[in-house]
Amino acid sequence: MAPDPNSASGSGTRDEATVKVLAKDQKKKDEKKDEDLSEEDLALKQQLELYVERVQDTDPGLQKAALESMRQEIRTSTSSMTSVPKPLKFLRPHYGTLKAYYEIMGESDLKKYLADILSVLALTMSAEGERESLKFRLLGSEGDIGSWGHEYVRNLAGEISQEYAKRQTEEAPIDDLMELVQQIVAFHMKHNAEPEAVDLLMEVEDLDLLVEHVDSTNFKRTCLYLTSAARYLPGPDDILVLDIAYMIYLKFDEYPNALQIALFLDNLQYVKQIFTSCDDLLMKKQFCYIIARHGIEFELDDDMVVEDEDRYALQDIINNSKLSEGYLTLARDIEVMEPKSPEDIYKAHLLDGRASAGASVDSARQNLAATFVNAFVNAGFGQDKLMTVPADASSGGASGGWLFKNKEHGKASAAASLGMILLWDVDSGLAQIDKYFHSSDSHVIAGALLGVGIVNCNINNDCDPALALLGDYVNKEDPSIRIGAIMGLGISYAGSQNDQIRFKLTAILNDAKAPLDVIAFTAISLGLIYVGSCNEEVAQAIIFALMDRSESELGEPLTRLLPLGLGLLYLGKQESVEATAEVSKTFNEKIRKYCDMTLLSCAYAGTGNVLKVQNLLGHCAQHLEKGETHQGPAVLGIAMVAMAEELGLEMAIRSLEHLLQYGEQNIRRAIPLALGLLCISNPKVNVMDTLSRLSHDTDSEVAMAAVISLGLIGAGTNNARIAGMLRNLSSYYYKDANLLFCVRIAQGLVHLGKGLLTLNPFHSDRFLLSPVALAGITTLLFACLEMKAIILGKYHYVLYYVVLAMQPRMLLTVDENLKPLSVPVRVGQAVDVVGQAGRPKTITGFQTHSTPVLLAAGDRAELATEKYIPLSPILEGFVILKENPDYKEDN
Amino acid sequence: MGQGTPGGLNRQGPGGDRKGDGADKKDKKFEPAAPPARVGRKQRKQKGPEAAARLPTVTPLTKCKLRLLKMERIKDYLLMEEEFVTNQERLKPQEEKAEEDRSKVDDLRGSPMSVGNLEELIDENHAIVSSSVGPEYYVGILSFVDKDQLEPGCAILMHNKVLSVVGLLQDEVDPMVSVMKVEKAPLESYADIGGLDAQIQEIKEAVELPLTHPELYEDIGIKPPKGVILYGEPGTGKTLLAKAVANSTSATFLRVVGSELIQKYLGDGPKLVRELFRVADDLSPSIVFIDEIDAVGTKRYDAHSGGEREIQRTMLELLNQLDGFDSRGDVKVILATNRIESLDPALLRPGRIDRKIEFPLPDIKTRRRIFQIHTSRMTLADDVNLEEFVMTKDEFSGADIKAICTEAGLLALRERRMKVTHADFKKAKEKVMFKKKEGVPEGLYM
Repeated sequence: MAPDPNSASGSGTRDEATVKVLAKDQKKKDEKKDEDLSEEDLALKQQLELYVERVQDTDPGLQKAALESMRQEIRTSTSSMTSVPKPLKFLRPHYGTLKAYYEIMGESDLKKYLADILSVLALTMSAEGERESLKFRLLGSEGDIGSWGHEYVRNLAGEISQEYAKRQTEEAPIDDLMELVQQIVAFHMKHNAEPEAVDLLMEVEDLDLLVEHVDSTNFKRTCLYLTSAARYLPGPDDILVLDIAYMIYLKFDEYPNALQIALFLDNLQYVKQIFTSCDDLLMKKQFCYIIARHGIEFELDDDMVVEDEDRYALQDIINNSKLSEGYLTLARDIEVMEPKSPEDIYKAHLLDGRASAGASVDSARQNLAATFVNAFVNAGFGQDKLMTVPADASSGGASGGWLFKNKEHGKASAAASLGMILLWDVDSGLAQIDKYFHSSDSHVIAGALLGVGIVNCNINNDCDPALALLGDYVNKEDPSIRIGAIMGLGISYAGSQNDQIRFKLTAILNDAKAPLDVIAFTAISLGLIYVGSCNEEVAQAIIFALMDRSESELGEPLTRLLPLGLGLLYLGKQESVEATAEVSKTFNEKIRKYCDMTLLSCAYAGTGNVLKVQNLLGHCAQHLEKGETHQGPAVLGIAMVAMAEELGLEMAIRSLEHLLQYGEQNIRRAIPLALGLLCISNPKVNVMDTLSRLSHDTDSEVAMAAVISLGLIGAGTNNARIAGMLRNLSSYYYKDANLLFCVRIAQGLVHLGKGLLTLNPFHSDRFLLSPVALAGITTLLFACLEMKAIILGKYHYVLYYVVLAMQPRMLLTVDENLKPLSVPVRVGQAVDVVGQAGRPKTITGFQTHSTPVLLAAGDRAELATEKYIPLSPILEGFVILKENPDYKEDN
Repeated sequence: MGQGTPGGLNRQGPGGDRKGDGADKKDKKFEPAAPPARVGRKQRKQKGPEAAARLPTVTPLTKCKLRLLKMERIKDYLLMEEEFVTNQERLKPQEEKAEEDRSKVDDLRGSPMSVGNLEELIDENHAIVSSSVGPEYYVGILSFVDKDQLEPGCAILMHNKVLSVVGLLQDEVDPMVSVMKVEKAPLESYADIGGLDAQIQEIKEAVELPLTHPELYEDIGIKPPKGVILYGEPGTGKTLLAKAVANSTSATFLRVVGSELIQKYLGDGPKLVRELFRVADDLSPSIVFIDEIDAVGTKRYDAHSGGEREIQRTMLELLNQLDGFDSRGDVKVILATNRIESLDPALLRPGRIDRKIEFPLPDIKTRRRIFQIHTSRMTLADDVNLEEFVMTKDEFSGADIKAICTEAGLLALRERRMKVTHADFKKAKEKVMFKKKEGVPEGLYM
């Protein structure tokens, strides 16, 4: 294509030429230029030279006219991006003379005029760092800033930030600057340049100004920019930025967005404020769904919801009591209600020939693995093929039959698996588990207690059935029953900060006669219940329990769960951990460093703090003598800290590759787990390959960790590739009972909830981190660090901690009566639209489905119909739809 | 290349990511300690260093503080990596040790090494080899040779006296083919395609989904389509869609233009096709995109010249590769042409190319979308009424619309405006339509 050759291309090339020449010597240019200037340009040049002379004239009238016309010339031709505007170019040689004249000029309006023009000229002329443009602007007439064009404003903004920094160090007043900032911000906000406005305000540390300048057209983009910048800003700026975003959202009544920021800040005061300032009941219901997904305890009071009846309904939503129903709706819609047996998962028929040779493994292990696989696969469906088959053949029936195919502690896991199958369904769950309470076998009772806890996981019930059932068993004689009850309490009341349970459990910690395993699980349970609360008393109790341990006990793997319990108290709470970290320095040296690392990793989990990653990497860089164990938590810590944002996550994966190359055995064992945490329920191909390689490692513990991690990264995705790898591994390791057990568990995880569940603790577009979910996964991973002693030993039921992170990965739209409503939605890969101009698409490569739909990692949904308006901007989990009053049928 | 790889030195065992391999191996020998060796099949090239060196992309492309912050975050991590690695090197210098190992290996290999051909693998440590001259020998394989990569027929290095296998020559992939690999994903994504919803869906179903979710097809019990052909008038977005596929997929993307397959010497064309598909298979999952297939795929008729016959033979090889005796695994083929009627029917029969996707000229709705896409990043003045162009009767292709938008933008730039006005668009449209109708002789275009 060739544009009109006469005008466009001609002037284009000339401009280009001049730009190049500008850099060269001034005089040379003038001489050379004169001849090849076109007539108009020449005229313009002479005109401008005349103006410059006139400005120096003594007659104020003439001066004024000259300035006016000069200004006119400049204004009409600024705001270009491809070349320096001609008037500016021709005025360049005269910048010096004008400046000199300005100095000697008497104080008058004209002087201000001249300052304006000098300010613009300084844009191209002023030397680096002199900030003359700003200087003359401040001296000038303070007219409309935008009239000189974008480039001028942008340049000015840059100079302001430099000037501001300089004045800050000199502690000079900044009032005049701020006035200018006001103008610039207003200009940017009007011209779709929100990021620039925000950047400038960040530079001059006065974000509050932003609230005045946003309007209904640009506040969304502004807030989006603010929230995504917050992830990368150092504290305390990030909190400040989010506060501003919160205020802006409130100002424009975007309550759901404001609520998300409030939850991110973990500021319940803000949450209350949102509830009180919003008076739409339906909207409040949506808030409750968001809070429920986040998994925090929240009590509504009269101020927030006036009507009692409404309040109960809302509290019901927060208590997650409808979760099971919604999940089953999804399952029925996708038609996966049919229970699956472990054999359906193993798909042994796809392996050739020797599948039956697996019989060489002791069958108790096999059965235990099947129990877990069965529990994971049928989680929450309320029916399966092992535990809940109707017991009509004989009393006790087949379910009892399966239970007793496990031996001793295996029975505990089997009984507890019933809780997993009936997950979230409190009423029928308790009824079905009840029968095991009458068993004479202590392991079965222990399992039943744990099962009760699992059923109640993430569900709050006003009558506290879990506490009522489990409370009495906590102090029984038999340690396995006690552990069952304690674990059950920990899982069902995670995050609740229930005082009653605290009294019960701290008593155990103080009990000198209590066995080590009971104490370890008590610490974990307390950590879960008070997760991220920084509760002093619980911390004290755990610290004392740790100090009371004898030298030999401190070497036990189980003891290492105590520091974890302590760490969970400070999950994501950053500096609050410091006092406790000081205390931990006084511990016995066997556990000191382990405790130190654990606390550090937990406290900064989900913050993306680079300094802490550096610290942890430093610990991993040392080469240790035998017997030191603290590098495992340090490696996990890197993952916990870095998982906060996408960039850190990818860079952490790179760092872990290096660790793998240089690290020693104890580091290598933790690396697969760290990778598993980073990509949980998100099967990235490169991580999958690394883990697949490690799963054939000569060190069996590295291999085991890699196998479990393969399960974790594929958790709830039904990923065919991982399933294939695991199938091959099962035939490869068919002689090694331990590894085969791990492979089976991983297979169960991949098909978690038949592919309807996710373990990802991040939700709402990867913005919010559910503390309870993270705590659950962390506990599991720390237990996996001691694979042989805990998971392959008799404490395999720690695998059930994974239930804390289990959430349906669905989008379920409901109507105003909270009944499921099927609407078309587009589901596709999420696109980062921060700071993009126009109306960019938020998803790419989408397909249209009708709800309820499953959302994979990195997916985003948007409504494909305009008939309804979603009450939450982020379509995940439960979303209430309101009918669009403006909607008209197409035909 | 030309360098043998001392395989067993510091490499980890390969991942068992290919179905059945682990099991195959173990039938012969119960040796669970060793990871499954893959004798007889070339291992997929380790994408290690290349993939690891890639840094995550930083998304807001405009200059702003967020971008700066993100870049700084990446820099922080890189600095930490550097610190860690230098620390480790200081504590445990690996360099020297590696150097020592290397010189030992070099001693064992001797110099010069002779180049030979691997005829047959007898067992783990022995093989029958032949050199270009003379007879075949039964020789040993040294332990440091990566046995996973040995396969019958590959070029090997032999000791000059005892003729034992001391290394193997890697990578005899035709350089022509390696050029076809798309290393850098194109920038166009699905978001840049206006309309064509049905086409996108079809191509995703046929090409992407089988690679990412084979289980869906497995469950329903069908074999996924092998390939698709995109046809339609010029400028309707066939190549654009292929680019979007390349952009979005993590599979290897090989792109060829039909004319590249026509070679100077007899037999070179078919060989290139074979090579192309072999590489695609090695690097699978992969997508092969052949643009302008009509260059080789025209109907067969009695050929008069050798050149024509050669082209036909190239096509026959293509037919064989598409649905021949050897099964292709995770290789999907996309063909594109604007003259589907002239293609050989054998090429298009189901089983070779299962799906024919037509790209029509955009209708009004699509046109609107395309306009939106091209203008969404432009600063438009308030008076711009795109509907006028959308509703017009003239036949526009997607490329024409893009040309109009670009032209309008250029017009605005020429006048140093930050905004594009309606008048610009009008002028641009006239210009483009003029070019289309009269500027070029009818016969050449369309």
